[in-house]
Amino acid sequence: MSEEALRSVDLRKTYHSRGTPPVEALRGVSIEVRRGERVSLLGRNGAGKTTFLKIASTLLRPTSGTIEIFGEDADRHPERARPYIAVVPQEGKPFFHLTPREQIYTYLRARGIGRETAKSRCEAAIAQMGLESVADRLSITLSGGQRQRTMVATVIATEAPLLFLDEPSIGMDPFARRGVWDSLKGLTRKGSTLLLTTHYLDEAEVLSDRLYIIEGGRVLTAGTADELKRSLGGTLKVTIADGRGLEETLRSFGECVADGGAVTVIVDPSRLRELLDFAVAHEKAATVGPVTLEEAFLRSVGRSINDE
Amino acid sequence: MTSDVVLSPSRPFRGLRWFVFTELLVQGHETLAMATSMVVQGVLLVFVWILNPGLLPVAFVGAIVFSMFTMGNRVLNEAAYLRIDHRSNDLYFASPLQPEAYFLGMALGILLVYIWPVVAIAAVSLWVVAYTPSLALLLFAVSAGVWLFSASVGYIFSTFFRENRAIWAYSSLFFNLFGVLFPVFYPLTLFPPALQPIALVLPPSAAAALVQSALGTIALSTNGVWLASGSLAVEVMACFVGAALWARRTAREP
Repeated sequence: MSEEALRSVDLRKTYHSRGTPPVEALRGVSIEVRRGERVSLLGRNGAGKTTFLKIASTLLRPTSGTIEIFGEDADRHPERARPYIAVVPQEGKPFFHLTPREQIYTYLRARGIGRETAKSRCEAAIAQMGLESVADRLSITLSGGQRQRTMVATVIATEAPLLFLDEPSIGMDPFARRGVWDSLKGLTRKGSTLLLTTHYLDEAEVLSDRLYIIEGGRVLTAGTADELKRSLGGTLKVTIADGRGLEETLRSFGECVADGGAVTVIVDPSRLRELLDFAVAHEKAATVGPVTLEEAFLRSVGRSINDE
Repeated sequence: MTSDVVLSPSRPFRGLRWFVFTELLVQGHETLAMATSMVVQGVLLVFVWILNPGLLPVAFVGAIVFSMFTMGNRVLNEAAYLRIDHRSNDLYFASPLQPEAYFLGMALGILLVYIWPVVAIAAVSLWVVAYTPSLALLLFAVSAGVWLFSASVGYIFSTFFRENRAIWAYSSLFFNLFGVLFPVFYPLTLFPPALQPIALVLPPSAAAALVQSALGTIALSTNGVWLASGSLAVEVMACFVGAALWARRTAREP
């Protein structure tokens, strides 16, 4: 099996519908995911993440470009790629008139997995997702979070080599989300590869070896969470409570973002002391915190929007 | 980890058995829907019993044919509901399960649950219809054909809708027009003569006409028999093959 789990080259997708102008959902997306990696696609709504995931999971044909799953051409020979993949669809729901146990087990059997393996994986997935107490209740009686966990359990139980998860923890409480994260990490330790989309940047940071930020159907930037954060020019952010009138000097420390009266400065740790001394000298309150992926994301996407 | 990845050439209808079972479990929980699936047929039988008891044999075999025909309506609704509301297509089509197995599995799962009320009607009809082995065999064959036709058409139709509510008007029109207005519950000879050839090429009324002829209720000419049986056979096969191919085609959005 190829060491490259997924490789897309110049992938483009244009949607045509009568009476409206064509929409370019993907404008040349090239992505590589190595076997065993966890990779996230980040982007605003409509950025093209789900379109990419649908093409990668053989559910949508690209307009042009190539996409390979473990070396198999997923566009020309989707039937060759499908055994390698499993998908948690965006807004997917389990069958309401099946229990989570029935849902997972029958799905595994429909994929061609043998009885004993299906049974043991089904029970393991139920335990991993914390669904033991509701495993024999019809899904129609479950909460939204429990249904979503059932969907994730259904897909992780496949232990497919490449898992696509489109907003996998949506609607889950913080405890359940962490349970999902642990399970997904466990899967990659066993050799699976994950490609996920999420709007939760903390989730992306915890789960991902690498991230791609997509905007307007293009990859804006890619790298590890640390690399993306470092691209801001510092790893700390200092917020000066009332920084009006000081922006010019503050800009000499690093990139500044004004928010009302407050000014946030992205600063390298080596210049932190100097900046704090400056704030104290001007009798300004300052708070210090780490730069988050959210800042990197907002700046990256914000710049792209401004450029357009 | 990767031992499950089967890379043998994809076999048509792979995964069928387990998708039938899945749908069987899903439908099996809907006991109320199963129990009420015979309401229209029951009401029409009561009407016939009141208005013209002599037509009850025709009405009973018509009820059986109609019941098989309306299973396509269930396939239409189920397929659209699962695709639109549950995104089940995405879950199943991005897997080794073949799309045509998804279609046929759904249709068979629905059949295996909703066949029991039909069996009940067939059992009651034993008091009214003078079945011979050939008549029973013919009724079985044409009913199976009508089921396969309507399930195939129902699945194909389901792929054209983006919203569930839009389906109701069309499905009601389609199934009532061809299942109730056309001569399924009543003899073909009561249908306007100019429209009878149309009735003979539409699967539910063609099936009913063949059974009515075997019952001796109507005298169908040799040409009429060939027209009804030929068109039924062709339409059933064409729609089934079409639905299987359509399921494959629509498994991927263009």
